Amino acid sequence: MAAPLFEIENLHVRPVAEARGKQVGEILKGVDLTIGAGEVHALMGPNGSGKSTLANTLMGHPSYEITQGTILFKGEDITEQEPHERAKAGLFLAFQYPVSIPGVSVANFLRMAINAKREEPIQVKEFRMQLQHAIELLDVDRSFTSRHLNDGFSGGEKKRAEILQMAMLAPDVAILDETDSGLDIDALRTVAEGVQRLHDEQGLGALIITHYQRILHYVKPEFVHILMDGRIVLEGGVELVERLEREGYDQIRQEVGAGTSAVGAGDSGV
Amino acid sequence: MTAVSDADASAADSGGNGATPVQVKPGRHREASLYHALAGAGAGDGRSLEQLRAAALEVYESSELPVWRRSGFWTTSLQSLDLDALEPAAAGEGVPDVVRRTLPDGERAGRIVQSAAEVVSVELDPALAERGVILCSLEEAFRDHAELVTPWYSRRLTIDRHKLEAANAALWRDGVFLHVPAGVAIEAPFEIVYAIERPGVAQYARTLVLGGAGSEFRVHEYDLAEDFEGQALHAGAFEMYLQDGARCRLAQLQDWGRGDVFDVSTRFVGVGRDAHCHWLPALLGGHLVRQHLELAVSEPGGDMAFRGLLFTEEHEHLDVFAVDLHETGPSGGDVHWRGAATGESRASFEGLIQIDPGAQRTHTYLQFHSMMLSPKARIDAIPSVLVSADDVSASHGGTVGELDETAIFYMQTRGLDRASAVRVIVEGFFEPLIAELGNEGLEDVVRGKVAAKLAAAREDIEAYATSR
Repeated sequence: MAAPLFEIENLHVRPVAEARGKQVGEILKGVDLTIGAGEVHALMGPNGSGKSTLANTLMGHPSYEITQGTILFKGEDITEQEPHERAKAGLFLAFQYPVSIPGVSVANFLRMAINAKREEPIQVKEFRMQLQHAIELLDVDRSFTSRHLNDGFSGGEKKRAEILQMAMLAPDVAILDETDSGLDIDALRTVAEGVQRLHDEQGLGALIITHYQRILHYVKPEFVHILMDGRIVLEGGVELVERLEREGYDQIRQEVGAGTSAVGAGDSGV
Repeated sequence: MTAVSDADASAADSGGNGATPVQVKPGRHREASLYHALAGAGAGDGRSLEQLRAAALEVYESSELPVWRRSGFWTTSLQSLDLDALEPAAAGEGVPDVVRRTLPDGERAGRIVQSAAEVVSVELDPALAERGVILCSLEEAFRDHAELVTPWYSRRLTIDRHKLEAANAALWRDGVFLHVPAGVAIEAPFEIVYAIERPGVAQYARTLVLGGAGSEFRVHEYDLAEDFEGQALHAGAFEMYLQDGARCRLAQLQDWGRGDVFDVSTRFVGVGRDAHCHWLPALLGGHLVRQHLELAVSEPGGDMAFRGLLFTEEHEHLDVFAVDLHETGPSGGDVHWRGAATGESRASFEGLIQIDPGAQRTHTYLQFHSMMLSPKARIDAIPSVLVSADDVSASHGGTVGELDETAIFYMQTRGLDRASAVRVIVEGFFEPLIAELGNEGLEDVVRGKVAAKLAAAREDIEAYATSR
């Protein structure tokens, strides 16, 4: 196993409570996860298990509060860091629902993002070459980069734009939050192959968060984690994906005894 | 962003049945209105300049400083203006620094600069002068080109609606005259500059622009002041008439700096047969600003694109009345404004579509989008529609927005810090309009002004975000 690049230890997370005096329970209840350099991990789980919360928390989303645990990246504690500091350190989050930024072209946005990570602004020529390379890698049209970011994009285009940004920003670890949702099979293949190539060519490490198995037919994870009710209940290799496909989440839930009701009852009894 | 209004006024709103003269009937949102379109003949009407000045002086001397009140929630009052302490002063030496600092270096057809009450510089491309283009002070034009100027001067502008309008008509000095003769087409802009360099100045600015048949040209007006402490006044009157088939792109950049500059101005653009005007005022600050902006399609086949952006900060007060007036049909209109506000600033945008009797086959649309960047800032949008013809379409819509935290987080995950992400959002908000200017030099000036305002409001915006 490669040296730990990204270490998540005993992570407890709850949403920042709306000011309604509501008691808000934890969504993540002690997640441990370690990703080595260049490793591809899959995190799978049923709806409501906390997958997106984990993705957003790892990136520092202000709506989530870490009540316990730490996040280490490259040996540094980033638990309290701002999202942009994590990005600069080499983390990337591909969104489930990418946000449109009207008035800013894909190319201009990429240039800003690249320059945010650098001391000196990138040379025009170097930027063009990188962009050209990424465009070819992801099989997108040249005109794509002059359109306003995600503005009026189809679902497939938005996801391609996410992968294009990932390719240009060359993170050490990319978290892909249900990037496969809502994609037709062609778009899914392009996106997944893009990730695989970045892994092969640039040594990209990835945490692929997904509900379904199908993206994992194109990107082969080395490690698979099953998240249920805020905890990782099962870990293994790619054979876990096949088992899930055969048996479904319910079978696994019964086996590990992490049923929602049981945990819920336990919590309320405290 | 959420839509706040979307209303249609079409044949259903029109009055009259042919037996009696068609009355102008209120549209659905008319009750909130404070202002009225000029919509008629101006004060000119065959009178000489001296007669007009004398008539205006009487009004000026017999009236009080104006207060405009819209029931309950909006007042524009000039009562804090110490008019007696101001004078139409002589200019300083040469072209003011603020003009040198602000204007782009790009190619230009000509430039005229008035500081305080004096034109301090006039340049005109000699090749254009040879083709009959005239750019000079309006006083000079009255002396040297009376036959050209007199029929148009104050043709649609009034002189007696309020004290400061009367003051302008009575007391203006120097001023600007631009004439682009029939058939002359020029891509580089004519630049008209009004500058105020120090407090204590009352600047009565008077501009007349004539576009001959088939002419094509650009006008960029800059209204600028140094950052000073104390009061100054700019009371402006601008009129432009485009004759058959003329095409003009008119832009106005206004930034009165940090002094207490009051600006009460009226601008009228008349679009003739098959003529076209693209007009974009960028109103980027002033202590108290009231602008009456009227774009009228006066003859069949004319059309216009009326764009605008406004951005207020600190304690600024901005009151815009934009009129999309259709006097004949067929005609086309397209009004699209955007506004943002920081600090404790207040802005009101009242947009009126007025379609006069007989302006059949008019199609027009008005939209206003706003973005609030501070909890204490406020922008009111008051669209209204007055339709007196039955074969027309006129509608309006708009959005009210705040900073989108999801978009900010999205950009942060790409490495932009919060302030940069906010800048991207606000610049992106204005960019569709800025890009329409179609002149790189001016576009960059506007972008630079927007960025500077955001930088100045950084703490304010930060506090707003964390308070939500």
